[in-house]
Amino acid sequence: MPSGAVGPTPTKHTSSTSTSSTSALGQKNLKNSTDAQQILQSVWQNYLDKTPQRTKLLDVFLGFLVVVAGLQFVYCVIVGNYPFNAFLSGFSATVGQFVLTCSLRMQTNPENKTEFESISNERAFADFVFGSLLLHFFCVNFIN
Amino acid sequence: MRWLFSFLLLSLMSAVRALSVTGQRVLVVLEDLSEEKQYNQFWADLEERGFNLNFQSPKNDTLSLFKHGERAFDHLILFPPKSKAYGPSLAPKILLDFLNKAGNILLTLSANTPIPTAIQSLLLELDIHLPSDRNALVVDHFNYDSASAADKHDVILTTSPSSLRSDVKNYFSVNGHIAVPRAVGQVLGNASPLLTPILRAPSTAYSYNPKDDSESIEDLFAAGQQLSLVSALQARNSGRFTVLGSSEILLDTWFAAKLKDKEGKAVRNANRDFIEALTAWTFHEIGVLQVGRLEHQLTLPGSLRNSTSVQSNTELSPKIYRVKNDVTFTIELSEYSLNRFIPFYLPDSDALQLEFTMLSPYHRLSLVPIAHTPNSTIFRTHFTLPDQHGIFNFRVNYKRPFLSNIDEKRQVTVRHFAHDEWPRSWAISAAWVWMAGIAAVVVGWVGFVGLWLWSEPTDRVARGKKTQ
Repeated sequence: MPSGAVGPTPTKHTSSTSTSSTSALGQKNLKNSTDAQQILQSVWQNYLDKTPQRTKLLDVFLGFLVVVAGLQFVYCVIVGNYPFNAFLSGFSATVGQFVLTCSLRMQTNPENKTEFESISNERAFADFVFGSLLLHFFCVNFIN
Repeated sequence: MRWLFSFLLLSLMSAVRALSVTGQRVLVVLEDLSEEKQYNQFWADLEERGFNLNFQSPKNDTLSLFKHGERAFDHLILFPPKSKAYGPSLAPKILLDFLNKAGNILLTLSANTPIPTAIQSLLLELDIHLPSDRNALVVDHFNYDSASAADKHDVILTTSPSSLRSDVKNYFSVNGHIAVPRAVGQVLGNASPLLTPILRAPSTAYSYNPKDDSESIEDLFAAGQQLSLVSALQARNSGRFTVLGSSEILLDTWFAAKLKDKEGKAVRNANRDFIEALTAWTFHEIGVLQVGRLEHQLTLPGSLRNSTSVQSNTELSPKIYRVKNDVTFTIELSEYSLNRFIPFYLPDSDALQLEFTMLSPYHRLSLVPIAHTPNSTIFRTHFTLPDQHGIFNFRVNYKRPFLSNIDEKRQVTVRHFAHDEWPRSWAISAAWVWMAGIAAVVVGWVGFVGLWLWSEPTDRVARGKKTQ
């Protein structure tokens, strides 16, 4: 169940979007590309509306990490992976940070509250910080 | 200190005219000791050079080359025996043992007496071939001494021997002609790298059996420069074995003989000088090399690179190096000449090489002379150790005809890079991108944490509101 303040509005939205999408499907079944585009659009809108601010912040950070990892990967493909320890260190920094952030997202997402009853948000965040610091220490050490 | 020692040695050496590095005890084996006085000039020359001569007959029961397992004599001169053999104390095995203990042997042969079979087989073992006819001698119809052998032509008149190769110094050159009476010609095998001819027969000479009555020779043993009148063998421990084809050449009469060539023109007799050079070489007075200082160290900075002073900041000859270290190798070589050490001058087309070896050489470099002291030459080279760890040897292997052998080995360990000797990542330009990646992650994370802590969770605000 979503949290109280945001409670009534999303349900309304979902119902409205679902009805609008069915009507759209019923009326314009020739233009599939537009339907797909509309579905994506509605998914995106739903995401923007439904997700909490904090989770969106997490997602922005995740996206940033993916971009950084992607850039490093492109560089590796073009130039090669010498020195290998530096490549591993740089790439695993992004990957490890991504994993840690994902676990923080899972533990602090209001929708998952029933599965993570025993872990408060603060505890999850503290674990995240500790894990991140360990990861950074390892990566800086490994790149020498 | 080293040079102080050399000067001390020098001052002792100059007391005698010549001195052998091996020792002064000479055993002369002469069967008929009454013949001794016929060689007086030869003994006088040897004694003047500091040798102690000891005359014994080969049949003497008390004769022994060894005493308590060591050599009793340093040098051995063997004259041909009238009887069939030398006796049990001079068996071929004992002669070889003597050579193996770095003793020197001068073996003389004569065409007048048959060569013992034991000696023939000993020489065959050393790859020196003698004619199978017991009475064979070398004859030359164009280069003979007309004063003594006008009809028999069995006294060969040769000019001074020339150097074998351009990069080998000639130790036996004399001013004049050498008369070799009734010599037994030898043929040297190709297989042994230890054999070198000192005096070869002229190209018109051949081996002839005087008992043979036929008009022409069948089964010629050898002819021309294939025949070696004086041959030398230097064993790997630098012990020298010289085979002198004619024992008569040592007689006083031949030292002083007036020689005339085929046309009757008088030529200068250089026998005495030649025998002096021959015995000097055989008994380790000339053609001897010695290694003085030998060091290796990490290469010093540019200004001190070619300095030969002992003081240095780096440890001398360490046991362990690292891959790709820059290393300097220095060796000091002296040549012993008659009674003192002189600097060794490398022939122009020759090279003194350093091998840096593990199973096979990784480097083979020429050592360059950088300085000369009064007694030696200092050679040096710089190089970079290969990118391979293991146990390596610095090896100087210099073996040349008529020079004693040098084979010096020093073992060192070469280790890998230590964990803190690798270049740091900021020094490798290829790693900058990855470093930037990590920095981006860390900065982004710090920013994210700041934003997270700064933004209040909406449910917490609601809970707060609820409790109130």
